[in-house]
Amino acid sequence: MRDLPRGDELVVLARELSGAAALVERCRAIAAREQCFGEAGFAPARAALRARYGEHEDRALLARLSAEIGRGAFDAAGEARDWALRVLLAITRQKLRESNPEFLAANGLDEGIHS
Amino acid sequence: MPRDSLAQETRLFRFIENETGAATVSNAGMTALPGGAVLRHFLLAFELTGGRFPGPQRWVLRTDGITKLGIGLPRAREFALQRLLFRAGLKVAEPLFMCCDESNFGAPFFLMRFLPGEADGATLVARGPNEPLAASLGQELAKLHALDLARALHFLPAPPADAAAARIAELEQHLAADSDPHPVAAWALHWLKRNKPAPLRPVLAHGDFRTGNYLVEDGALSGVLDWDFAGWSDPYEDIAWFCAKSWRFGAIAREAGGIAPREAFYRGYADVAGMRIDPARVHYWEVMAALRWLIIALKQRDRNLKQGERSLDLALTGRRPAECELEILLLTAGAF
Repeated sequence: MRDLPRGDELVVLARELSGAAALVERCRAIAAREQCFGEAGFAPARAALRARYGEHEDRALLARLSAEIGRGAFDAAGEARDWALRVLLAITRQKLRESNPEFLAANGLDEGIHS
Repeated sequence: MPRDSLAQETRLFRFIENETGAATVSNAGMTALPGGAVLRHFLLAFELTGGRFPGPQRWVLRTDGITKLGIGLPRAREFALQRLLFRAGLKVAEPLFMCCDESNFGAPFFLMRFLPGEADGATLVARGPNEPLAASLGQELAKLHALDLARALHFLPAPPADAAAARIAELEQHLAADSDPHPVAAWALHWLKRNKPAPLRPVLAHGDFRTGNYLVEDGALSGVLDWDFAGWSDPYEDIAWFCAKSWRFGAIAREAGGIAPREAFYRGYADVAGMRIDPARVHYWEVMAALRWLIIALKQRDRNLKQGERSLDLALTGRRPAECELEILLLTAGAF
């Protein structure tokens, strides 16, 4: 579900490159938050996707969701559309909790997560 | 300095000597400039004796990055475009010489006069609101869109009959080439197809008109930078890109590039263009902007992950698509 590179890969790169302090700190913070959440952060979205598409890996689940969106399966107002939006928002929020909680806060979605 | 760099610098100043017809180049120095996620820039300071540019000089060299993004104009076309824009009276650095011979610097490059000013987006936004600057940026953008250069710009891809449809097709192609599924991007593409407005007459667009791509000196606009994404498009693509949340550098409430309310920017544009800005059309192109930046972020990430360019900045850009995804959902959730 996560975007790449993973937090641990960012930390390795930061060690190798010894870049600007702010960037290095950002890499460390992302890795720490990823470790803190583990896989639990994406569990509700994954469960919702598996309930609709069956027991598949994340990649296959996301591919099926993308295909359904492209086919217009969620165009009409109603339960299916609300479900899709809930899942998309849940995945996006979790990615931002880990990679940029400040952006969530700036958008009025502050969850009290700190670096 | 490593021997390779020294030899490169020697070849570069010899090129300048030849092109300018100077008898000598002295007190020459070259410094890498910060910024520019795609291309590289160097400040050249030197003194010429004789020739077309006698006396002390400060020029900027613009050349390809170590790895390529795979989109945007090649340097020679960008140079030709920038020359036309300079002659048309736009606030751009004066382009001086183009060099396509890669043996000089390892890649094609062009030279232009140095323009003073601050370009760093975060620094400019941190200075606080600046409505006159936003208005002058609106005016400058409207001047660009009003230019009638179709015949001179024969080297650009032909103007699309429907700029939104063309951009959607381009983004869809890039997305299909990515190895991972991106459902929010798929949501955005579908929304953009279903809500596409009637096309307007295409204009010459900057393609990356935003805070971070212009210079400010004493609070005023001194130049517009980075023309490598220029091409024919809907005028609202530039307007919306400037206002997109991604380019407000944290000052989300100042919706015109993090420097002012939208109205100041819109007013400046409307004063020159003589047209009222249509908020619904800006909204549409802001969804397009969020999707386009998402895809550019993926491509920037790939320069690190797949092309081997070791850069923390590029790697961290790989974690930014989620910002675009949130913006897409906020902009489209109520009106799918």
